Amino acid sequence: MSATPLLELRGIDKSFGPVQVLRDVAFAAYPGEVTALVGDNGAGKSTLVKCISGIYPIDAGEFVFDGQPVTISSPRDAASLGIEVVYQDLALCDNLDIVQNMFLGREKRNGLVLDEPTMEQMAAETLAGLSVRTVKSLRQHVSSLSGGQRQTVAIAKAVLWNSKLVILDEPTAALGVAQTAQVLELVRRLADNGLAVVLISHNMNDVFAVSDRIAALYLGQMVAQVKTTEITHAQVVELITAGRSGELGLAVDPGVNGNGAAPADSTTGGVS
Amino acid sequence: MRVGPSQDEIRRQNLGALLRYVHLHGATTRAELTNALGLNRSTIGALTADLAAAGLVTEGAPKETGRAGRPSLVVRPESDRIFAYAYSIEVDRLRAARVGLGGAVLDRRELDRPRGLSAAEAAPLLAGAVKEMRQALPADAVCVGAGIAVCGMVRRDDGLVRLGPATGWVDEPIGAAVSAELGVEVPVTVGNVADVAAFAEHARGTAAGCDNVIYLYGDVGVGAGIIAGGRRLTGHGGYSGEVGHMVVARDGARCECGNRGCWETEIGEHGLLRAAGRSDARGRDALLAVFDAADRGDARAQTAVRQAGDWLGFGVANLVNIFNPEMVIFGGTMRDLYLAAAAQVRSRLNSNGLPACLEHVRLRTPMLGADAPLIGAAELAFDRLLADPLDVG
Repeated sequence: MSATPLLELRGIDKSFGPVQVLRDVAFAAYPGEVTALVGDNGAGKSTLVKCISGIYPIDAGEFVFDGQPVTISSPRDAASLGIEVVYQDLALCDNLDIVQNMFLGREKRNGLVLDEPTMEQMAAETLAGLSVRTVKSLRQHVSSLSGGQRQTVAIAKAVLWNSKLVILDEPTAALGVAQTAQVLELVRRLADNGLAVVLISHNMNDVFAVSDRIAALYLGQMVAQVKTTEITHAQVVELITAGRSGELGLAVDPGVNGNGAAPADSTTGGVS
Repeated sequence: MRVGPSQDEIRRQNLGALLRYVHLHGATTRAELTNALGLNRSTIGALTADLAAAGLVTEGAPKETGRAGRPSLVVRPESDRIFAYAYSIEVDRLRAARVGLGGAVLDRRELDRPRGLSAAEAAPLLAGAVKEMRQALPADAVCVGAGIAVCGMVRRDDGLVRLGPATGWVDEPIGAAVSAELGVEVPVTVGNVADVAAFAEHARGTAAGCDNVIYLYGDVGVGAGIIAGGRRLTGHGGYSGEVGHMVVARDGARCECGNRGCWETEIGEHGLLRAAGRSDARGRDALLAVFDAADRGDARAQTAVRQAGDWLGFGVANLVNIFNPEMVIFGGTMRDLYLAAAAQVRSRLNSNGLPACLEHVRLRTPMLGADAPLIGAAELAFDRLLADPLDVG
């Protein structure tokens, strides 16, 4: 548990034409913690992630990474800072094996030829570091893997590059109970190994099972960012669907309080 | 006036500390050992030489470090040679394993256990598994002891299983029975499965470095292994941690222990299956089927899982308020229940827990998974070796 965030966003605005998708969004991700990003469909979760990963340029606002103000104008910038995103479709190639997938586009070379032994060793070390025991051989094709194993490979690929912040988009969607459990344990282990993890999920169970903080988006505004030990399931559902819950979230009349989008202060225990 | 420790005692202590370090952390350079143990270089050299002479560790040159200077020798535990037998007696299965120094499971056997099998009947089955494993044993292998993890209340002094409601055991001398089958030269230690699993997770699992831990282990019943201030809390006779029999409902369902409204009647196997309308089903697979059905949208299973999750949160809140742990680990069937109903567990815990106690509590699932009882049982056996390395082995 660390007091200083690895990534901090302040006052992020983003519009597509006349539609304002993100409004004065503040967000923070801490090393060693899982921050769950929740919100209804269209609340702006994916847009926010794409702004962080450099796919969309932001209209206004600032990024602070590791205490330094940074600008992220392309996915390459994000990758060089150590930000990796695992998208829902995983972006794995079925016809390649696990090692080839993990190093796809970033292969290690030894002179002119590919350095297969080093790549295989690095892949094995990464999987071992995550205590992954479900994958038998590193040379099997991804097409032969189960959904949970694919997710595991995609996550391992994201942490292979000494990344500092890993963003996971709905990693347990479309998985059965046993595989969901494995992926959740893997997500938790990433954070316990010291990474900052952002978990996007619709499943409140997943959110409560592994997260340390919950950030709720409602119609493009960050309505609350609170510690998971200070909130209940019902409150999160209210935040997602109505934008507020008791003293949390938007003020009763957003028009009166211009500061409605500021997240609730989680450090002073703003929860009753 | 108290006399200071003798040189012999100090040496024994240091040998134990060094061996424990490589046992838990794997291959370590002498330089790291010097830092970690706070002993000077020549002492580390002498201690490793003694341990190597006893065949407990080996020293070797490290891989290329690419740095200037003479590389420090690497001390490795003799994992292939020094081992302990570990048994886990569960409600539905018996497991036996050979665990090497350093904590690696070298070989394992698994047997189904018919419910109602007595200790005297279980011992030959376990001995049979050991006989099979012995055939593959390297010629110079040395067994330092055996540990047994059993679901039931275990008397610390002699390993007598006083009561295992789920197994139907009352006063079963499992330690003596296994000892008789193994032969006299192998000391046998018996522990409650939750205590032993907590021990394993604390030593080399997800709770490494945490001094206040509660490990909830569920199979048919629910028990807890409690580590307080870095020490295992076993109670006067060794029976502590029976949290499954904490009464949570005055007029609740009848428990196998004879009481009404025990916690495990709500979160244990029977309670969950009853709530899901599957009272005649038994076993872990039936339980997993309920979680699966809930995930696929079966309304009755969903209600049952949510309710059990809520009860789990109740009990955990009580435990957190009493013990103020930094970590609660959900093992056995509690892992599946926690992951399937975390929203309910956390919500209840957050509303019932005292804010100060909740502040730093982390909820985790075991890193060692289903192997925790076996590895913990082996740790029980290794504990004797680590206390006095040159005496055993």
